[in-house]
Amino acid sequence: MGNLYVALGAMLQRLDMDYVIPPPTSQRTLALGVRHSPEGLCIPFKLTLGNLIEAAELGADTWLMPAGYGICRLGYYAKTQEQILQDIGYGHVNVVGIGVSQDKLSGLLRTVKSLSNNASWLKIISAFRFGLSKMSAMDRLERLTQKVRAVELAKGTASALLVQGVKEIDHADDYRTLKKVEKDYAEQLGQVPVDEQIKPLVVGVIGEFYVVLEPFSSFDIESELGKLGVEVRRSTFISGWTKLSYLFNPFAAKEKDRIHRAAMPYLKRDVGGDGWESVGEKVLHAGSYDGIVHLAPFTCMPEIIARNIMPRTKEDIPVLTVLCDEQMAKTGLVTRLEAFVDLLARRRRRDYNR
Amino acid sequence: MEIYLGIDVGSVTTKLAALDSEDRLIGHVYLPTLGKPIEMVLTGLKEISKELPADAHVCGAGTTGSARYLAGVIVGADLVKNEITCHAVATMHSIPEARTIIEIGGQDSKIIIIEDGVVTDFGMNTVCAAGTGSFLDHQALRLGIDIKEFARLALESRTPVRIAGRCTVFGESDMIHKQQMGHRIEDILYGLCQALVRNYLNNVALGKKTELPIVFQGGVAFNQAIVKAFNDELKTEVIVPPHHEIMGAIGAALLAHEEMTDGNRDSQFTGFDAGGASYVTSSFECKACPNLCEIAQLALDGKVLARWGGRCDLWERVHPEGSP
Repeated sequence: MGNLYVALGAMLQRLDMDYVIPPPTSQRTLALGVRHSPEGLCIPFKLTLGNLIEAAELGADTWLMPAGYGICRLGYYAKTQEQILQDIGYGHVNVVGIGVSQDKLSGLLRTVKSLSNNASWLKIISAFRFGLSKMSAMDRLERLTQKVRAVELAKGTASALLVQGVKEIDHADDYRTLKKVEKDYAEQLGQVPVDEQIKPLVVGVIGEFYVVLEPFSSFDIESELGKLGVEVRRSTFISGWTKLSYLFNPFAAKEKDRIHRAAMPYLKRDVGGDGWESVGEKVLHAGSYDGIVHLAPFTCMPEIIARNIMPRTKEDIPVLTVLCDEQMAKTGLVTRLEAFVDLLARRRRRDYNR
Repeated sequence: MEIYLGIDVGSVTTKLAALDSEDRLIGHVYLPTLGKPIEMVLTGLKEISKELPADAHVCGAGTTGSARYLAGVIVGADLVKNEITCHAVATMHSIPEARTIIEIGGQDSKIIIIEDGVVTDFGMNTVCAAGTGSFLDHQALRLGIDIKEFARLALESRTPVRIAGRCTVFGESDMIHKQQMGHRIEDILYGLCQALVRNYLNNVALGKKTELPIVFQGGVAFNQAIVKAFNDELKTEVIVPPHHEIMGAIGAALLAHEEMTDGNRDSQFTGFDAGGASYVTSSFECKACPNLCEIAQLALDGKVLARWGGRCDLWERVHPEGSP
């Protein structure tokens, strides 16, 4: 999922575990996942199953899969995928569901401990910390890229720098190198020639975390918006998503709380997945952003609930819901994005003239 | 004479519209695309030039529709715009008081909501074409009825049958079922119209604030039976503008005009007679990564003009002559 592999790789390496990183999510991953998944399941299931199969081809026998998060179907995914992998002939594989919700923290640490041949607690904690540092370094570069993309003179420069930066972060073996790489690329991104005259439209990307964080599942919607001269903001970052990281980053927990409170007048409880957060973010950002792009996997119940609540809130902001699915075509998506950005630009011009 | 040209290349039909400097419509063409967008654009250009005065000089050209990028390269468009914006612009120009636009074309259908002269919301059908013109075309073909006869017959219906319209596949089996039960053809046809309207309102227009007046445009608005079905369902009289079938092209022309007034530059338009040029389209599979994208390319006399279709920009960014 997105750049998560970089952080996980760093953790596993520090724990001296033998691990493989499957190839980047591609059309092949999708084809494999779709072939072996029930039709009605969501794109996150299909893509992660494809990732597992591609990892199995490289010899993996144990997988870590987030599970038990909220009350959406994701909780069953580890077990279901294990069953599918065994059915298609990968023998005695083991998909370990790791609980990522806060209350399961001890369980998660214990799972990791048992998988790592009983590494010391100190070693485990230090491995986690290093992985999380890589996450936050990548997130910082991503945030900068979102800003630069909208106004850069030569389209594509920032994205290329980000790809390079993530690669170097992946290779960084210690904190000193990591800090240096982060600083280096942040500076380079700051020096990309931009059009100072443009005040770009600001669009928030919200929705279900997997499709928000895995560019493949949304045809890299952030780059597409960047090409149209839009500055993307999102609050879902890998480092903020794992509730585990709240331990190291109390700000993330506070932000989540703020989002939930904003949703309260319209939705009073968790409806699974990220539905509650989607409603809250819409309400919260109605005054500050020009528009919102809401990403939801096709058949995702929590996001369907959110989608139907959003138009009814009194906080008004244009929302474009994009359903991510293996049937989605890039042309259709780009047409909608272009029209949406036109809408936002004309709306801003009208409000300005008033 | 100053001319602004709009070209709308849709999946089913190709439309061209020419406006003068006062944005009055002075010529238009409506052709079936027949899966040959390039040929139809070239034919359309030739045909529309016959309607224009001899001193016609194109000062701006815009393209829209699903083949807008392809058409844009061929005619040398000054502006390439998505069909949602184009439709909205054209409607606001001819019917300024419009608040809701229902547009149903061959393969897609949209709803556009307007407030204070600005589009505030829109919706478009997703993966399914059940609420579009091709649904009707297909069912008319099944019943062996000319699409032009369709409306006349449907309007004779007294007791329309209820047909499942959510999905063309179910709609079709339901329709056959009703046929075999001995329902009259008129009633089945009007039932289909109602199914399309229901499907549109339940899918495309779901959750949208439809304020009056409502404008109904696109090729399907030719069908008086659909107009009636909308009126019955919405309990209002929808407005079908004159030239409703070429609104996209008119919008592209209006936007091209706006674009050229803003900046001080000459039109890139390549002329009405590109008929002699030999455009060749081809496609290949990119092997740079496991995505194996299908890249389509357009070439003129052996020189590649443009490429599309990749998940990334690899082939779009490169110089057309060489490899990446």
